[in-house]
Amino acid sequence: MVQSIARTLDEEMARDERVVVVGEDVGKRGGVFLATEKLFDKYGPDRVIDSPLSEAAIIGAAVGMAAHGLRPVAEIQFSDYVYPGFDQLVSQVAKLRYRSGGQFTAPIVVRMPAGGGVKGGHHHSQSPEAHFVHTAGLKVVFPSTPSDARGLLKSAIRDDDPVVFMEPKRLYRAVKEELPDDLDALVPIGKAAVRRVGDDVVLVSYGGSMAETARAAEALAEQGVSPHVIDLRSLAPWDEETVLEAVARVGRVVLVSEAPRTASVMSEVAATITEELLDQLLAPPLRVSGFDTPYPYAQDREYLPGPARIMRAVQRVLDY
Amino acid sequence: MILESQRFQPFTAEPIAVISESGEWIAPFELDLGPDQLRRMYQDMLVGRAVDERLGRLQRQGKVSFVAPSGGHEGAQVGIAHALRAGHDWLFPYYRDVALPLAMGLPLVEFVAQAMGSAADPSRARQMPYHVSSKALNLFSAASPIASHIPPAAGCAISMKLRGTDQVTVCTFGDGATSEGDWHAGVNFAGAQGAPIVFACQNNRYAISVGFEKQTGADSIYTKAHAYGMPGYFVDGMDVLASYYVMCEAVQRARDGFGPALVELLVYRYGGHSSADDDSRYRPRAEVEAWRKRDPIARLRRFLTRKGLWDDEAQKEADARIAAEFDEAVAQAQAAGDVPVEAMFEDVFADVPERLARQRAELLG
Repeated sequence: MVQSIARTLDEEMARDERVVVVGEDVGKRGGVFLATEKLFDKYGPDRVIDSPLSEAAIIGAAVGMAAHGLRPVAEIQFSDYVYPGFDQLVSQVAKLRYRSGGQFTAPIVVRMPAGGGVKGGHHHSQSPEAHFVHTAGLKVVFPSTPSDARGLLKSAIRDDDPVVFMEPKRLYRAVKEELPDDLDALVPIGKAAVRRVGDDVVLVSYGGSMAETARAAEALAEQGVSPHVIDLRSLAPWDEETVLEAVARVGRVVLVSEAPRTASVMSEVAATITEELLDQLLAPPLRVSGFDTPYPYAQDREYLPGPARIMRAVQRVLDY
Repeated sequence: MILESQRFQPFTAEPIAVISESGEWIAPFELDLGPDQLRRMYQDMLVGRAVDERLGRLQRQGKVSFVAPSGGHEGAQVGIAHALRAGHDWLFPYYRDVALPLAMGLPLVEFVAQAMGSAADPSRARQMPYHVSSKALNLFSAASPIASHIPPAAGCAISMKLRGTDQVTVCTFGDGATSEGDWHAGVNFAGAQGAPIVFACQNNRYAISVGFEKQTGADSIYTKAHAYGMPGYFVDGMDVLASYYVMCEAVQRARDGFGPALVELLVYRYGGHSSADDDSRYRPRAEVEAWRKRDPIARLRRFLTRKGLWDDEAQKEADARIAAEFDEAVAQAQAAGDVPVEAMFEDVFADVPERLARQRAELLG
């Protein structure tokens, strides 16, 4: 996936000279995860800008660059470090179009690796997407495959509104996938992907947790249960139609995300399902999630919603 | 970097002034402004003062929800405005900028309509009063969170440099802003990139009630420029011409590729922080009165009078014209009516997303 991101940035920078990359270590180093590898050599310091060690400066400067006509892609080294730039995201990025009555806009992309499973402890493992989803004015995407990362990153860069682009770091080098040659292979923001068609239970997930969800689905299929698997891909806006359609048909749903449970994105999905489909549900929507603790270090694997926990939840909705 | 054309030294111990309190020219160089521009600067200050007073009255009548008094800041603000190429350069303002956007050419009706929340506000009544923006004037949208506009201003200037546009960004703020992390983040990035930006601090020595000595252990703001690798200028902001000349020099320096500067303009806020503030709780009246005696408008008037460029007749005429223009702006703002309720759901994104459209339907029934 990380190679897909580097390639996509290259393709978009070649396509549109307004696209610039700004962040810590994005230059000669090529990013700590190599998501901006080779860009500095190709485009130079005017378009691949090594910033001071300051998330507020990175995100804030991107706003001013965008208002002035550039299309900045800002990199935050880890989503856990976004908080010094949070005021910029909430007060400037998300509200610029609104507060100026559409006179000024902030078409920026803020990329950030997120999620756990890399033994990084609480400051290299968190899933802060709910903060962004809760902020009106931000679009939020969280792809789980190399081709979705490419298609969504292209859409995000070409979007006239700001997009928080979250990357599941534990899948950076987990999956190999041939990418299409088409330079305009966009994945629309707001559209989910159905990964598996089934009739017994709907599994909804996104980002890093898609890996465990897929494994759980395999195991369920071996046991004779037919899971329907949806990858949300976009969290704001999220694809209500695809989810509601599937849940209305199947009647049972398990929502999987490694973010802490309380007031999570999946809580919103569960609430919407309940509001819209109460009389079609055969069981309450269940969330399998990270816990309401800081992300632990020693219990890294146990914190994540693995296949066993997902399958237990599926059993509960099947038995309900 | 010291330029040959330079008139002012950075880091002076005393604030730079070019006219004395009694209205005499005291600078070591020739005045090179024509009568028209001098009179325009004077009248731009009058407009700022009048708008401040008249909006204050409308606030007390309940027609405006809030005002942020800027009386005492007019010299610094008009000096800054005249140092910019309006419509070419960019301004990242803060909420106490009144005379500044107006002197840059913001139509009075837009300022008044913004304060009244009328449909004549180009920002569609989305913000509380004193938060103007104008795409036409490159006047970035003011935001309440203090110093949150500093990193965007730095980014705008970095973009100017990368694209070689010959533009300059000017970013204004008060003394309180310099304590915010975002201030450091933005000034530091601009310094590292050598971006064409002038950071202009209107230091009125109070952040609401907190006095300057509690804001920082430093004696001044301009000396902080050392830490960011840029020159710091100390200016008597009650002297509009000193504000103008120093800003011109800093702006030209930035335009010529010599990077950012920090300018501290010493001013005073005659009124409270806002219409919701009671400044008698923390400021002695004698202090306010002492500063009022140093008024930037009275000071330039003395200068103009000495030069035979202004008299009582001209004053009467200007006051009457400004009052009429203000009344007309209020009438126009009122005539434009209210922004429709459904506008609440627009401009969140370029298009109204489905979920928001449903919420709009829920409200409108």
